Amino acid sequence: MTAQQPAPTSLSPVARGNVARRPLTRAQVEAFGAELDALRDRTLADIGEVDARYIKRIYAAVRYTEAVGRVLLFFGIFPPAWILGTLLLGISKILENMELGHNVMHGQYDWMNDPRFDGKTYEWDVVGTSDNWRKTHNFQHHTYTNVKGMDDDVGYGLLRLFPEQRWRPFYLFQPIIAVIFALMFQWGVAIQDLRLGRYFAGKMTREELAEQFRPVGRKMRRQLLKDYAFFPLLAGPFFLPVLLGNLVANGLRNLWTYMIIFCGHFTANAEVFPKEMVENETRGEWYLRQLRGSSNLRGGKLFHIMSGNLSHQIEHHLFPDIPARRYAELSRDVRAICARYGIYYNTGSLASQFGQVVWRILRYAFPSKPVKLAGKTLVVD
Amino acid sequence: MAASSALKRLMNPLIDPAAFDFWVGKVSPLLSWERPLARVVAREVSARDTVTLVLKPNRHVAPVMPGQHLPVTVEVNGVRLTRQYSPTQTGGRLAITVKRVPGGAVSTYLNRDARVGDVLELGTPFGAMRDDPSVPGWLFAAAGSGITPLMSLLRAQAARGRVRTTLMYWARTRADLCFLPELQQMARDWPGLTLIPVLTREADLVPGEDRGRPDSDLLARHVPDLATRQVYACGPAGFVGQLERLTADTAAGFLGEAFTPPERALVAGAPVQVTLARSGRVLEIPAGEALLPALEARGESPAFGCRMGVCHTCACQRLDGTSEDLLNGRQHSEPGMLRLCVSAARSHLTLDL
Ligand code: FES
Repeated sequence: MTAQQPAPTSLSPVARGNVARRPLTRAQVEAFGAELDALRDRTLADIGEVDARYIKRIYAAVRYTEAVGRVLLFFGIFPPAWILGTLLLGISKILENMELGHNVMHGQYDWMNDPRFDGKTYEWDVVGTSDNWRKTHNFQHHTYTNVKGMDDDVGYGLLRLFPEQRWRPFYLFQPIIAVIFALMFQWGVAIQDLRLGRYFAGKMTREELAEQFRPVGRKMRRQLLKDYAFFPLLAGPFFLPVLLGNLVANGLRNLWTYMIIFCGHFTANAEVFPKEMVENETRGEWYLRQLRGSSNLRGGKLFHIMSGNLSHQIEHHLFPDIPARRYAELSRDVRAICARYGIYYNTGSLASQFGQVVWRILRYAFPSKPVKLAGKTLVVD
Repeated sequence: MAASSALKRLMNPLIDPAAFDFWVGKVSPLLSWERPLARVVAREVSARDTVTLVLKPNRHVAPVMPGQHLPVTVEVNGVRLTRQYSPTQTGGRLAITVKRVPGGAVSTYLNRDARVGDVLELGTPFGAMRDDPSVPGWLFAAAGSGITPLMSLLRAQAARGRVRTTLMYWARTRADLCFLPELQQMARDWPGLTLIPVLTREADLVPGEDRGRPDSDLLARHVPDLATRQVYACGPAGFVGQLERLTADTAAGFLGEAFTPPERALVAGAPVQVTLARSGRVLEIPAGEALLPALEARGESPAFGCRMGVCHTCACQRLDGTSEDLLNGRQHSEPGMLRLCVSAARSHLTLDL
């Protein structure tokens, strides 16, 4: 049934335009889903000690890089110490944010029964609260991936990245807005769940907004005090270099996470989907939608770790609660399965994929021929 | 001490306990911000397949009363597993005796892999079988490793009051009896103590031993004054139940503690009880049915998101019982996380809801 499917026309990262978009038959989608389920089970059965050791090592790496980074910043009067300290602190924050925090909060390590790696209670080192994140990201983004109107991450309510989004004059400013958003990424993510748009549209009262803001405000205060008061004050006369180092380290993390995350769903061949698609969606269809809405980044082992393995965005979306260190080996099987069903597997270098994202930001700032989403389907009967 | 705890309260909002433990752990693995930990300082084989580990607790370990149980957590193959043991406290040390259960991950680990110098995580002691100086006479009935909580009670009494006490201790053979030399010594020093090993599979008995499962004849033979005795029974559920039937009405008092036997999986559709630990509600639902809709149908409203196992919004702790992962049919019996939307009960369950 599947053998006569031709191989994908091209795996080139700039396959724009010549990507097979042929829908699968219902039987094919279900067979495809069953293969992914089997792959998931095989991997889960193998998870154990090595994965536990790995996440503990990542935790240790976060602690050591942070400690060395902060100590070096106390000597930040000397430029080499400042540069190295800032870089190390930035690396620590990136690791904590992505390979540790993001993945732990998905419940990837819940099986360990270790309170340090408990997905429900982990609180990460960014201004947004973990609770909001678990809702907007783990639930909305991962369940309704790239479904317009359901997944807030499609443009974050700020950007027009797909021709399927209606153009408004506001989007003319988006090349600038996108840069500001990148520099302030953690703040944008922190207020994502507040849905300020609803407040400005008069759909939410001031009191409701204040109520929702309370935990976020508390978290923001804590983070600000830590990086811009506590550690700088600890440095005494070297207050300023420490403060600047912390600011730059947070900024580095903002830029890096923004870049990795935007490459995950906004490359040229990533698709958006209409709301009605999720009604009565089967497991196989859900898998297929995840695949067609996500894109990977090629790179070395260190690059994958520093991106929290979100460079394997496709595998992450298929199996969000499998420890991310498994994605590299999973990707070999996923690719092979995709090839069997003639499904395009979207991957490329960081330069190429991010280039495509930048192109989308620039291109869709301007009006474009409207593209209708309604009626779009991944399956033919 | 008071000053340090006041300081600690003051520091609490500033401290990340995990990070604190990470760094102080480099100095000594027993140091921790708040976790009760203990180091193994001695290891001794006390019977066939049985070791006694002597533990040095850190300052977060609460005092353990004789007869109480203490949760002990170890990491096996990357997974933290917890079992209850009945330690004996002498001076600043705790001793736990662990009999290796075939297929038991924790008992095997503690028997085979735990070394002097290792650090174990402990929990909060609990248990109703306490020493009571006002009781004039005791009957302790133990089966297998049920001896351990009674052992710590016996030691406490040997050191103190020395009231009339009979210990009937069931095991298959003499080699399966734990603490035999210690018990014999205790009986020599303490004339009020009668020790009766009851062996179910030993060919030749020596004087003082008996054979057979618990019944009224056996009890009448060894404890004619049962009516004046307080009974503590400890062992497998069937054993404790039998002793309760035999003595609850005739003795001065009865308290039993049974180990839960491994529960057998129930067929789909059979009614199971789900206990919600936080609200105390007990619901009856069919085995094999997804927990989230089943709980909702009975008026509960647990948090949920995707309802398909993706988001972990519905994840909660399974405190007790066996559940099935409906996505792959695998069953899980260890306390741990489950996702309500893709799990079903396969035995009576206790959930942290
Ligand atoms: S509701 Fe999302 S995992 Fe259960």
